[in-house]
Amino acid sequence: MTDEETREVLEKAFDYRGDVTIAFKDGRKLECYIFDRRPGKTLQDSFVRVIPQNSTEKMSIPYSDIAGLAFTGRDTAAGKSWEAWVKKYWEKKAAGEKNIALAPDSLEE
Amino acid sequence: MWTVASYVIRQKLAGRKRYPLVMMLEPLFRCNLACAGCGKIQYPAHILKRNMPVDEALKAVDECNSPMVAIPGGEPLMHPEIHKIVEGLIARKKYIYLCTNALLLKEKIGNFTPNKYLTFNVHMDGQREHHDFAVCKEGGYDEAVEGIKEALKRGFRVTTNSTLFDGTDAKSVRAFFDEMMELGVEGITVSPGYQYEKAPDQQHFLGRDSTRKLFRAILSNRKSSWKFNLSPLFLEFLAGKREYECTPWGMPTYNMFGWQKPCYLLQDGYAETFQELLDSTEWHNYGQASGNPKCANCMVHSGFEASAVNDTFGSWGGFYATVRATLFTKYRDAEALKMLDEPVHSPAGLVQLGVLKTADESRETTHA
Repeated sequence: MTDEETREVLEKAFDYRGDVTIAFKDGRKLECYIFDRRPGKTLQDSFVRVIPQNSTEKMSIPYSDIAGLAFTGRDTAAGKSWEAWVKKYWEKKAAGEKNIALAPDSLEE
Repeated sequence: MWTVASYVIRQKLAGRKRYPLVMMLEPLFRCNLACAGCGKIQYPAHILKRNMPVDEALKAVDECNSPMVAIPGGEPLMHPEIHKIVEGLIARKKYIYLCTNALLLKEKIGNFTPNKYLTFNVHMDGQREHHDFAVCKEGGYDEAVEGIKEALKRGFRVTTNSTLFDGTDAKSVRAFFDEMMELGVEGITVSPGYQYEKAPDQQHFLGRDSTRKLFRAILSNRKSSWKFNLSPLFLEFLAGKREYECTPWGMPTYNMFGWQKPCYLLQDGYAETFQELLDSTEWHNYGQASGNPKCANCMVHSGFEASAVNDTFGSWGGFYATVRATLFTKYRDAEALKMLDEPVHSPAGLVQLGVLKTADESRETTHA
């Protein structure tokens, strides 16, 4: 990846509401949620800030350490439009259901 | 009122250009509702499971040192130690607005003791059908009302907060105000919805002109029985009677990621300390005057109520306007009355609950 591509991908990853897997240049991988990014002038002084899946600690990772990134977690904002709710409501209503509601996402990974 | 007035005056005397009025403390993102208009709960499970430790919450409150703390979320009553956070805030003499959908209020209320500093601010998006549809849960209104009644019976302070979206029926909102006042709540909070970038529903938020028209219809020809828990100048702003620029630092947000830049609604990163938030946020990039498209349609209380309060205590003109708006609340407006009878503009896909009911009834008629 070029520097510009790295910045673009990490900006998209910052906007993503699911976990990503970061591949480091030294071969390690980290599944995490990117909650912040701090772009600097160079990749060395640009950072993403993440919360790993298996930890509560915040981590800062320099862009320059990152070899690749995959959007491995489900996008938790996807598929929940108002239209989807209206459609679901009418389907359930037609099926004779009572107490129709959308349930929050499961907390199981 | 006196607490806020003396605080704002102290800030002005100290020459502080940017000061917080209400801290928004989000102790968790988990919720027991899944409202389509909400952009606050879309996170992976390991984030949703987390609860902010009590000492971290109180440390942030001490750092911000605003006179009022609102606790939204997620649903704060799902936090196992929310009562301890509240106790810590009361000990610090902070006025607390615990923002809840009230589904757990009857179950959890025994963990709290009535106190002048604590108010349950119950999320109510309108009359029964409107609320249930907005929160995507049939029966949600009745459960919330039960929670309100229980809290009032036990001597707690209770207010309501409503978020209004495009297609809102102004007449129904006014009837909802009557319902809430009859229930005995202390005041009503109301705000237009904000188009969160990450909210699943992107189509049904209000633009500025629509907001002003809707709130003019709702807030003009006001009944004397309605009590609002909002700055009177903010209400005038919503109804298009005055202009303000956003004050994003007025209601700063702290959650498990840190201090949210720049405001309660946008997520442009996080600062580790409140001072870092003030110092490192490029404030000129936000607000309507900045030309930032994310801010173009925003008239939300978290950005503009602090502007209104600042206006009240920032000039004799603002103070006079506030006194006048407090004493003369009728806002007679014949044109606004006519607006109440206009058909509700319902954008494609938005189903009005009144329409739902009619469709239901007509189906039953057909079957009969």
